[in-house]
Amino acid sequence: MTLSPDAALGAAAAPRDRAPIFSFRDVSVRFGATPILDKIGFGVAPEEFVCLVGPSGCGKTTLLRVAAGLIRPQAGEAIFDGRAVERPTPELAIVFQDYSRALLPWRTVAGNVELALEARGAPRAGRAAEVERLLGIIGLSAHAAKFPLQLSGGMQQRVQIARALAQRPRLMLMDEPFGSLDAMTRQSLQDEIARLCKAERQTVVFVTHDLEEAIYLGDRVVALRANPGRVVEIIDIALPRPRDQLTTREHPQFLEYRHRLFHHLRDRL
Amino acid sequence: MTARRILLGLAFPVAFLALWEILARAEVLSNDTFSRISIIVPAGVAALLDGTLLARTAETLGSAILGWAIAAAAGIPLGLLLGLVRPFERLLSATVEALRPVPSAALIPIVLLIYGFSLAMSASVAAFACLWPILIVTTSAVRGIEPRLLEVGRALGFGAVRRIWAFALPAALPGIAVGLRVAFGIAIVVTVTVEIAANPRGLGYAMITAQQSLRAEVMYAYLFWIGLVGWVINVAMVRTERRALRWYWAARSAQ
Repeated sequence: MTLSPDAALGAAAAPRDRAPIFSFRDVSVRFGATPILDKIGFGVAPEEFVCLVGPSGCGKTTLLRVAAGLIRPQAGEAIFDGRAVERPTPELAIVFQDYSRALLPWRTVAGNVELALEARGAPRAGRAAEVERLLGIIGLSAHAAKFPLQLSGGMQQRVQIARALAQRPRLMLMDEPFGSLDAMTRQSLQDEIARLCKAERQTVVFVTHDLEEAIYLGDRVVALRANPGRVVEIIDIALPRPRDQLTTREHPQFLEYRHRLFHHLRDRL
Repeated sequence: MTARRILLGLAFPVAFLALWEILARAEVLSNDTFSRISIIVPAGVAALLDGTLLARTAETLGSAILGWAIAAAAGIPLGLLLGLVRPFERLLSATVEALRPVPSAALIPIVLLIYGFSLAMSASVAAFACLWPILIVTTSAVRGIEPRLLEVGRALGFGAVRRIWAFALPAALPGIAVGLRVAFGIAIVVTVTVEIAANPRGLGYAMITAQQSLRAEVMYAYLFWIGLVGWVINVAMVRTERRALRWYWAARSAQ
């Protein structure tokens, strides 16, 4: 196997046995004269769960939007499947933090999930069964005919996750998906997304400002620092799976990671 | 709307008509200008029975519906474009603002030259009058769309046409529906005005001929009938709106 530059980059920070399916290659973004992201570079291996963590204003969301093809960087590129990402594609799914705005309020829960099937041109005949299957695995079967705004926040976010899964994305991008949920809902969704993504062998880039969430979920954590956003550290998370809200979070290794990453999250210039 | 609410809504008009009858009988209201209700109603029933009332109504509604539909067919797509495409808005906003204050009655001489006395004449004036509320309400409804929704459409890889049809249009629909309802009221008002002023068709013309032949009771019968027709149509539109926008009201009541 020949190593591409991205794989080498990934290998330097974390030994990966497979070439990355996705990578940032020296991505820089400016808004006007303000630099937002400065030469971001790292790769994501297939089936890997990578968490991006950083203080607010470090450009995590911007980076995810670059990955999704929603904005183009001024310099560098996001490389997906060997090609630069120039525009959005159903192969890249994005889950937004503001679920209530990201769901179509005029479509039922089932209709919102079906939207992704329409987007990737799934045959009409199999759609209803596929929607049913997805609502089943995310625990929303009983709510298929409801409108999203009739559901709780946690359930709305489940709908958005089901919609992202319906895209059968080769990479799932999640932008602080649990950021506006209460603590209990957040923990149960963390466990569910971890289980689901491993079961479906889903590759994920997960943005969060919650350090513990990043360590708890990630195979790898990429820490960013702000002004301008840049990668300061990449840590392999060697915690056993399945992880557990109590024992994993009390694991000595967990605490060690937390200590190592903690100072990056404090706001400093 | 329940029967109870309809009855409640009728309370005021019934009381008003009763008072009218009493004052007319007491000759507080001159019987030359204000016929008694007890004479107006039979005049209306007679017009209904000999078919003229329904024929005139069909003429007026035909013009109003045609004008309103033309305005909707032009105003909704135009409003979507104005709301979604900035350069388009800069290009057209001055024109829109210059045309909008033109009184629709000022068009009567022009359309009379173009169409003569016809359905098309009233309809085109109604279309002009209806276009502005539909256009403005659609534009502002589109501007008010949650940007995230349009971004979701983009992230899913849908093309521009699909994003307008499946995202922008439904998202703006609650606003557009209000515009359509307001515009239909305007369509009736303008059509009847044109009929009174120039076009020898429909309910407006029936009113003016009744007035000129000094048959005030027939004139009032037509006037009340116009009010009744307008009310029934509004109720029907509100109901259709509620049914079509079930998601909107379900979401509102859930919050």
